[in-house]
Amino acid sequence: MTTLAAFAPRRALVDRLNPILVKEVRQALRGRYFKLMFWLTLGVATFAGLMVVASGASSDEIDALGQPFFLVMFGCMSAAVHAFTPFSAYLSTSAEWDENTHDLLVLSNLRPHQIVLGKLLSALTQALLYYSTFGPFLVFAFLLNGIDLLSISVLLVCSLVACTGLSLTGIALASLAPVKAARGILMAVFGAALVMVWGGSMGAAAEITSSPQNLRDPEGQMGVAFFLTIAIVVGGLFGAIALARFAHEEENRSTGLRLLSTGMLLLAGAWGAWLHAQFGDEEAAWGMQVGAGCVLLPAWLFFLTEPRALGRRATKHVSARRWLALLSIPFLPGDGRGVFLFLVHFVCALLGGVLALRFGATSGGFLEVVGMVSVFYAYTFVFLALPAAVASAFGVSARARLITRITIVVLVPLVTLGPALAGLLFGSRDWMELRHPLNPVWIMQKLMRPDKPFGVVIGLSGLALGVLLTFGLNAKRMTSGVIEVLAASRARREREQLARS
Amino acid sequence: MTSLAVRGITKRFGDLTAVDDVAFEVRGGEICGFIGPNGAGKTTTMRICATLELPDRGDVLVDGRSVLEEPRLARRRIGFMPDSYGAYANTTVLEYLDFFARAYHIRGPQKKQTIERVVAFTTLDSMLEKEIASLSKGMKQRLCLAKTLLHDPAVLILDEPAAGLDPRARVELRELVRALADMGKAILLSSHILSELAEMCSSVVVIERGKLRGVGTVGEVMKSVTPRTRFFLRALAGAEAAERALLERPHVLDVRRERDGVAFEFEGGPEEQAELLAALVTAGLRPTELSPRETDLEDVFLSLTEGKLQ
Repeated sequence: MTTLAAFAPRRALVDRLNPILVKEVRQALRGRYFKLMFWLTLGVATFAGLMVVASGASSDEIDALGQPFFLVMFGCMSAAVHAFTPFSAYLSTSAEWDENTHDLLVLSNLRPHQIVLGKLLSALTQALLYYSTFGPFLVFAFLLNGIDLLSISVLLVCSLVACTGLSLTGIALASLAPVKAARGILMAVFGAALVMVWGGSMGAAAEITSSPQNLRDPEGQMGVAFFLTIAIVVGGLFGAIALARFAHEEENRSTGLRLLSTGMLLLAGAWGAWLHAQFGDEEAAWGMQVGAGCVLLPAWLFFLTEPRALGRRATKHVSARRWLALLSIPFLPGDGRGVFLFLVHFVCALLGGVLALRFGATSGGFLEVVGMVSVFYAYTFVFLALPAAVASAFGVSARARLITRITIVVLVPLVTLGPALAGLLFGSRDWMELRHPLNPVWIMQKLMRPDKPFGVVIGLSGLALGVLLTFGLNAKRMTSGVIEVLAASRARREREQLARS
Repeated sequence: MTSLAVRGITKRFGDLTAVDDVAFEVRGGEICGFIGPNGAGKTTTMRICATLELPDRGDVLVDGRSVLEEPRLARRRIGFMPDSYGAYANTTVLEYLDFFARAYHIRGPQKKQTIERVVAFTTLDSMLEKEIASLSKGMKQRLCLAKTLLHDPAVLILDEPAAGLDPRARVELRELVRALADMGKAILLSSHILSELAEMCSSVVVIERGKLRGVGTVGEVMKSVTPRTRFFLRALAGAEAAERALLERPHVLDVRRERDGVAFEFEGGPEEQAELLAALVTAGLRPTELSPRETDLEDVFLSLTEGKLQ
């Protein structure tokens, strides 16, 4: 037992760490993926850096060589921390399915938050290795002149937050697909998205380093704060999805996400108010709500296509107080209650947008905010809740729900972009250029114009009918959602009375 | 005390009813063989017992804890070894056990002792520094069992633990399972190797197309399938004469000639058996052998699932 004897004391401190963090770091450091990517990134960065220095030394720009040198280094580091690291988080979670360890993991005493945190921390540990490796290069870039410390600091902070958000996204996406083929598709999509993020980060770095004074202006600071908020919110949302995926099937996996999404809308309202107070632009008030709504689209799709029933454990936790049970309806699991949540979110967005107008010098724009938020939510309601209600009438199995979700994801762009093809066939220039009633962006663009095109009037009329139809089709599941909660509340009251007597 | 109580569980996947109102119990110290053809619902039932699937109806109590209402507490009492067990890449045996020990919140000296205990029990001592990928199937199976035992569960659910093992590894695994039962653990074990189950199980549950076909001790189930005893008779007078004589006797059924003798079923007690033997001697058959043939678990399985013996 000599090996064990040597092993145990050495691990005394490590014992306190998250087990997944320890295991994953061990695996990563021993595995080929990390080694290959690490040395490849470092090699490319060193070679490219030398090239920049060599070419710059013979030119007139030798005094400002820091900026191109930094961009090259940041580009290499960004590939590592914004692409390789989140992708490795995806692969690590995906491996739990491939290696049949997912079941063993969820059966252990590790709570879902420990599993997700462990995965995240191991990804961040890899990222920190990259950061520390590139640290000397970045210091060298600063010493070469042409770049200021603020730009470097801001880019590094934004990069770390983005890496965290992207890693959580990778973990959540891999946890969503137990089927290998689905994981393959998700991996391709996620990989492509990471390449785009990498490109975007390079663009942002070029913009910031070429105009560092922007960071001292309110607009620049607002941009940075806005980016950080979005990254944190998206990361939080995907983190909540991953948590739900690792929780036991009988646990209430919906309420946390529902509360988080509502919190996001409130945050969007606060942002809108601050932006309106800063710049006095009404667009900020409704733009934040619409932006938050766009981020929430996948969550709404999930809520509206959840299993109908509360589940045995959630049923037992419904409040015995009738009014409290009624208030909790939108936040309890179930597709019918998802419709209520959507309506709550609409009210939150509307109030958030309107209240945001009260902050700042200008006081107009009430109609604009109400119009824009209402149109956005109405289209979303019809696009998501209508097909979800129709599909729920045909099948309630897990497979049927998955098919519904995929169908909606495919249908929405088709409905919006499809008329362009029809326009091409029938020679309608407006439709070809997406000026048609099924395109919410066009409707919103024209909404506040006094000379609204006829198509907008048709679109709004159709939208009103669509909303009514969607309500009609969802009425049954909404009603059953309320009845179920009230029945659960009554049952709990009876249980408590029985226990007291 | 009943350690595992399956109470009328039903599980549907779309139109397919994978498990249909299945109920049985396994007590501490008992090894329960779970048998059924492929697709019978064994793995689904075991996954429900292990809290990995939800039943549409019914419940399972693990050491008194409901898998539906207290899944977390139930999990602490379950050791589940799936048929396709997991092993991490780039990980040694010791690191694997260390990871799962900490995943079960076993830390410090207790962790060391626990790993030592399971390593000694599964005789993995010499393998600790080896990468899991380099282990043989039998050793991987032992490792998975060692991992399953880390948190000292009261109930063990082993899904096809002997699948793919060579005869030696199978015998060793059987010994380990017996030792675990002796420790008082309730063991639910599925296997296609019925001779293995017959040797080590004290009870069996037979399932087919999601429905329970038989449940009880091995003897009870056998009796329920074959209330008659099957005998083999060899006589110097020849098989033909023996067959003729037997067909005239009461309590004798299903007489068949087999090589140099006759096999038949007999529904009667020792008194009737003695009478039969006396009659055969009197009839001048000069019997040299009259021996009961034991019904094995395979016969029971075939009988219950396809009705060949019924």
